[in-house]
Amino acid sequence: MHPDHKPYSRSVLLMAVLTALFLLAPVVFIVIFAFHDGAYFVIPPTGFSFKWFENFFSNERFRHAMLVSFGIGALVTPLSLAISVPTAYALVRGRFPGRDAISMLIMSPLIVPGVVTGLAFLILMSALGIGPGFIGLMLGLTCFTLPFSVRALVANMHGLQPSMEEAARNLGAPASSVFWHVILPQLRPGLLAGGTFVFVEAIDNFSITVFLTTMNVTTLSVESYSYIRDFDDPTVAAMAAVLIALSTILVFVMNRLVGLEKMFRVE
Amino acid sequence: MHDANPIHWRQVILSLSPAALLLGIFFGAYAIFLFYSVHPPATGGAAADAGWTLKYYLRYFASANERNTLWRTFVISVELTLACIVIGYPMAYVMVRSQSSFLRKFLIVSLVVTFLSGTVTRAYAWLIILGNRGLINTLLMKIGLTDSPLHLVYNETGVFISLLHFVLPFFVLTMMGPLKNIPRSLEDAAINLGAGRLRCFLLVTLPMSVPGLVAAGSLAFAVALSSFLFPLVLGGGRFRMVSNAIYEHIFQAFDVPMAAASASVFLVISLLFFWGFGVLQRMVGQGPTNQAH
Repeated sequence: MHPDHKPYSRSVLLMAVLTALFLLAPVVFIVIFAFHDGAYFVIPPTGFSFKWFENFFSNERFRHAMLVSFGIGALVTPLSLAISVPTAYALVRGRFPGRDAISMLIMSPLIVPGVVTGLAFLILMSALGIGPGFIGLMLGLTCFTLPFSVRALVANMHGLQPSMEEAARNLGAPASSVFWHVILPQLRPGLLAGGTFVFVEAIDNFSITVFLTTMNVTTLSVESYSYIRDFDDPTVAAMAAVLIALSTILVFVMNRLVGLEKMFRVE
Repeated sequence: MHDANPIHWRQVILSLSPAALLLGIFFGAYAIFLFYSVHPPATGGAAADAGWTLKYYLRYFASANERNTLWRTFVISVELTLACIVIGYPMAYVMVRSQSSFLRKFLIVSLVVTFLSGTVTRAYAWLIILGNRGLINTLLMKIGLTDSPLHLVYNETGVFISLLHFVLPFFVLTMMGPLKNIPRSLEDAAINLGAGRLRCFLLVTLPMSVPGLVAAGSLAFAVALSSFLFPLVLGGGRFRMVSNAIYEHIFQAFDVPMAAASASVFLVISLLFFWGFGVLQRMVGQGPTNQAH
């Protein structure tokens, strides 16, 4: 008998751990490299320095790109969530023909290659006479991030008890107050998880963004790409360390508020 | 009663209208660029209206270069999907079956941190790790395993390694749900009845996880197929994927109709794959659903 057998062997366990180390290696490496005082990678390291951080924060273009990126994240996130809440509500609570087709359509920005979407929006903005820039970025990234927020909110809404809404309705609450006072407060985990994904994806996106930035409106992802193409020093590693620190804080906060395993639907 | 029709159709339409407006813009953008691929826009100097033409599609398929890029994109995406299955499946399995909460936390944190660490950052990290004077080559030469650096960047090897790193979290995070829904008791029963771990895996776990494998595998394939940044940074122009070719048409050749035509071909091919995966998913069914624990 095997009363307390492990379901997997040691070699499987070893493989899983090695895979996790493979995932972590570049992240750990880039954070360490950010503190290296030489411009080129050497072993052993020549010394410790904060100068690449100074370089990053004193670079006019990076500062500007940071503002644009966070501005876009701060606008796209509430916009995407505001569109997704009623959408998820209709998809989960509504019974109407073509519901599956509609939910497929909403997911379609995820399936289409990013470069194709970026090109489509560049051509659209040019055809409208607006040209690339902030508006195009907002529109393109809201479309691209919609599936993330809809998915998080649909999963959240599926877990709610319709009986609570029914009780409110039977007690005479109008539809609007059922929504604001019964449904919306219960959507907090979905809004947090969906909002995090949308924010991260909007800031990180490169393939759509690169088509819609201009000389004056550029984002961190595009600016850091042009930097590593033109220069050879760890300034982008310093930027990476800052962003990784920010996202680690975000992960800790999310873990407290929602729980990581729930957020990534391990549960 | 509310059960039969929980919300009124008028509410449904009202609730869906913001998303419909946004998707209208999205598909409108696609309509314009598909139109430009067969009816190029009038350019300043040239004749006002070029009229309807299929020449950009003919040029696309006549070009050995374009066909080769398409084929290599397809091949590397298949290879990446297979590699994800080989190294991602054990990781997902350990994550859902491990008794140790420390190990589970470690694995999920490695996935989440990778996911959140930024794509340009990771491309840059791989460039320095794999470069001629990078981490791996410096170590190998210090140990004396090699005299001259191995060529790990600006070719398919670098693109493959960095893309595997990029695609893997999508695969593992999607694979965990279906694996978790396989009742542990079935595996226990097989083992208690005398099956070895390998037999138990091949006859119980693997067949029950086929629907999950199809879902996670098709996501990995779709993500790999549309890669752009990693081949751009680590391919160094020597290894290109379809997305890179489209980008070059527009930003190096400034050829909008050609970019629109190649993007249309790419769009149709990726939608075909997506449709094929949908059919495959219906064939293998849903797999065990979330109720058995």
